[in-house]
Amino acid sequence: MATRIPLPLILLTVAVYIFLVGPLIIILGAAVSDTTYLTFPPQGFTLHWFQRIFEIGAFRRTIVTSLQLACLATALALVIGIPAAYALNRYRIQLPTWLSTVFVLPILVPEIVLGFSLLKSVAVGASLPIFPTLLIGHTLLVLPYAVRVISASLASFDFSIEEAAISLGSPPSRTFFTIVLPNVRSGVIAAFILAFITSINDVSTSLFLTGPGISTLPIQILAHVEQFFDPVIASVSVLLMLLTVAVMAIVERTLGLTFLTK
Amino acid sequence: MLKRHIGWWLALPATLLVVLFLVLPVAGTIGSTFGEGAGPFAPYVNFFSSGFRRRVLWRTLEISLATTAISLLLGFLTAYVVSRAPRNLKSILIIAAVFPLLTGVVVRSFAWLIILGKNGILNNLLLAIGVTDEPFAMLYTQGSVIVAMVYLFTPLMILTLVGVLENIPDDLIQASASLGASPGSTFRQVVFPLAVPGLIVGAVLVFTGSFTSYATPQLLGGEKQMVMGTLMYQQAMVNFDWISASTIATIMVVITIAIVLLMTRVAKRLNPMAT
Amino acid sequence: MTQPLSVRNVTAHYGTTKVLEDLSLDVAEGELVSLLGASGCGKTTTLRLIAGFLEPTSGTITLGGRDLTRLPAYKRDIGLVFQNYALFPHLTVLENVAFGLKQRGIAGPEREKRARAMLERVGLAPLADRLPGALSGGQKQRVALARALVIEPPLLMFDEPLSNLDAKLRIDMRVEIRQLQRANRTTAVYVTHDQEEAFSISDRVAIMNAGRIMQFDTPETLYQRPANSFVARFVGFENLIPMKVVARDGANVTAETAGGARLAMSGERFGEIPDGFIFASRADGLRVVPGTGEGIPATTGLRTYLGRAYQYQCDTAAGPIVANGALSEPLEPGSTATLVPVPDQCCVLKAE
Repeated sequence: MATRIPLPLILLTVAVYIFLVGPLIIILGAAVSDTTYLTFPPQGFTLHWFQRIFEIGAFRRTIVTSLQLACLATALALVIGIPAAYALNRYRIQLPTWLSTVFVLPILVPEIVLGFSLLKSVAVGASLPIFPTLLIGHTLLVLPYAVRVISASLASFDFSIEEAAISLGSPPSRTFFTIVLPNVRSGVIAAFILAFITSINDVSTSLFLTGPGISTLPIQILAHVEQFFDPVIASVSVLLMLLTVAVMAIVERTLGLTFLTK
Repeated sequence: MLKRHIGWWLALPATLLVVLFLVLPVAGTIGSTFGEGAGPFAPYVNFFSSGFRRRVLWRTLEISLATTAISLLLGFLTAYVVSRAPRNLKSILIIAAVFPLLTGVVVRSFAWLIILGKNGILNNLLLAIGVTDEPFAMLYTQGSVIVAMVYLFTPLMILTLVGVLENIPDDLIQASASLGASPGSTFRQVVFPLAVPGLIVGAVLVFTGSFTSYATPQLLGGEKQMVMGTLMYQQAMVNFDWISASTIATIMVVITIAIVLLMTRVAKRLNPMAT
Repeated sequence: MTQPLSVRNVTAHYGTTKVLEDLSLDVAEGELVSLLGASGCGKTTTLRLIAGFLEPTSGTITLGGRDLTRLPAYKRDIGLVFQNYALFPHLTVLENVAFGLKQRGIAGPEREKRARAMLERVGLAPLADRLPGALSGGQKQRVALARALVIEPPLLMFDEPLSNLDAKLRIDMRVEIRQLQRANRTTAVYVTHDQEEAFSISDRVAIMNAGRIMQFDTPETLYQRPANSFVARFVGFENLIPMKVVARDGANVTAETAGGARLAMSGERFGEIPDGFIFASRADGLRVVPGTGEGIPATTGLRTYLGRAYQYQCDTAAGPIVANGALSEPLEPGSTATLVPVPDQCCVLKAE
């Protein structure tokens, strides 16, 4: 049904979208500007600043660290989060209600508090090296996506299908992989993507767990901005945006974008 | 044995991770602030007796409330238009909101440095059209932090609320029209009341997110506009005063959890679909 | 208050697909007309066009002489009862019923008085302050009905209003709907896919298929004298047998099936019979008689017990036919039998 939308509302929407997209276009412009300072609209055109990223050791190292962290944390969160989500849905009656609250805690506790607490208790208190501590922090950060998104998928899964498979002679463990998992595929993909993106962009949790020896890309960007105000930052930002574009293309291919509003 | 407790075993690794590395460390942080110094609440007395720190807390609340209010208003009106848009346009508008959301906080805050800086785009523009002869000092003000935070959270609000608005059955809107309600009346009497629980959820997300943020106030507010997050970092990593940092952390946790619990309860009570 | 509805030559599209073609429908003052058909036949589209949620590509819709065609839905003044009730979940039962009155600028106390009176009529006065979520399906349906009736609309429309209720309640509710509609003498359009429901409640029924009205008549006529083979099949004529006239004697004819079986047909019963026609009957309209004789020769097949008769799947030269036989003479599969028409239960359709 087409309800007519009043013109002022349409104008406001246009303005909001200019507000949302404009700054990203400005970064894009600034990244290709042939100047030593950040400016928009770009003056000239160069891809020099993209090359420059990889000439700076700190960026090279942190890009690698961030990718490693995001992959490992996401994988770990899925490996422990999927069984947890399955248990919460399949064995609901067996398990106490507070158990599902446990997996809300990482959302409820401010990230910055989590980072600081991990520094105090784990990195310093238990003298765990920085990288494992970071990995624990990131896994905790993305675990809610694994548990909650996949839980949402499982909630609409009809477990009698699983029982049917078992009654036909398929052992429970195999049934999980051949029957349950394929049916919550979209949930797993969504969880994977949200977790990966969250990890790669994280500042607050990593903030306390980095130092001169090891750092993540967003923290490195933050440090770089405070010292130099050159187009390298814009080009790194564009690099991160390209990663986002790639991820959104995967989402679009596999799930369609509407799932994001659910 | 294993069979009867299979649910427990499956949930165990994730539960252990949360308990060992989130619950215990955070409890430790909170616990360390009690019984420290003179009297059980000494760190808190200390925090609230400092005019500067009270100002920081107050400023953080102001920024968070302003961010919440503005992004709520922009987000709701935009979401309404998006939810009523024809299908093709709608998916474009959703992509355009998702994209900034998936772009990192640092990148998005950094964009406003380019825009609001002394030699930034906005100042250059104002100089060029002759509004002013001197560039404005827009950066490192409360306003700059709020603008960037609104920028950060509006996409989240739009997406949350598009979901909420799409869940309102078309039938209700048609029923309202068939009973003689104009589109304006339908919006006020049917759409808005049904969206209130969603608005509350969105507001809680934005408020807690702004209240505990670090990167945006650090980049756009700096030392001049210190907020709870940046103050905590400074106490912990510059002054190495971990008790003070833990105190700030505790205040953040308490306020966040209190608001989440309170507002989800309110939202649940206001949600007529639930009963 | 009640007014006649007139839909004239309406064509409608969803995107590029044509969903209604040159549809005309007249509903007299105080009449209840059902639109009956399978899903996708255009009945709901017709209702949405009249309600104003869709615009026709061409044609006009008038209510009591007032042209509604381009009027927005909220100015049409039509009471609508939705399939899933569409009650406002955030408003109490009373507020739901008062909603339409509020839009008409009726002051609070008067509004409440009228809404309460209407709730009284549908027997829900004690539930006035509940939220819809706390009601049963039948109660919700009554609220939806009260909400549509209280604005005293010149036209009342129902979109499959009973399809979410259980069988017993469905019958009670349709009696109630009919009584309320009769009492107010409101013109009404009722959309359903349930033939029994449509026939029991309506003054006239329009049977629809593929965006057209196939036949628009009283339930009695539709049931006994379908105008074409679509309607005949729809109202349960299982056997549609093509026949050719081989001899005429005044109005009476002798006709032959594809397999050469001959039937004598009375002009008095069937009217003017064209040379080629379709002989339509329900299982009841052909009697299975053991042995050979006057009628269609058949071999009986599977026998099922119906309580009042046996039903046989018969094989004939004209193809498979379903017919009923007496309980006193059960026939084993493979028996030779004759199918004898019961003229009152049969009809003649134009060949297509």
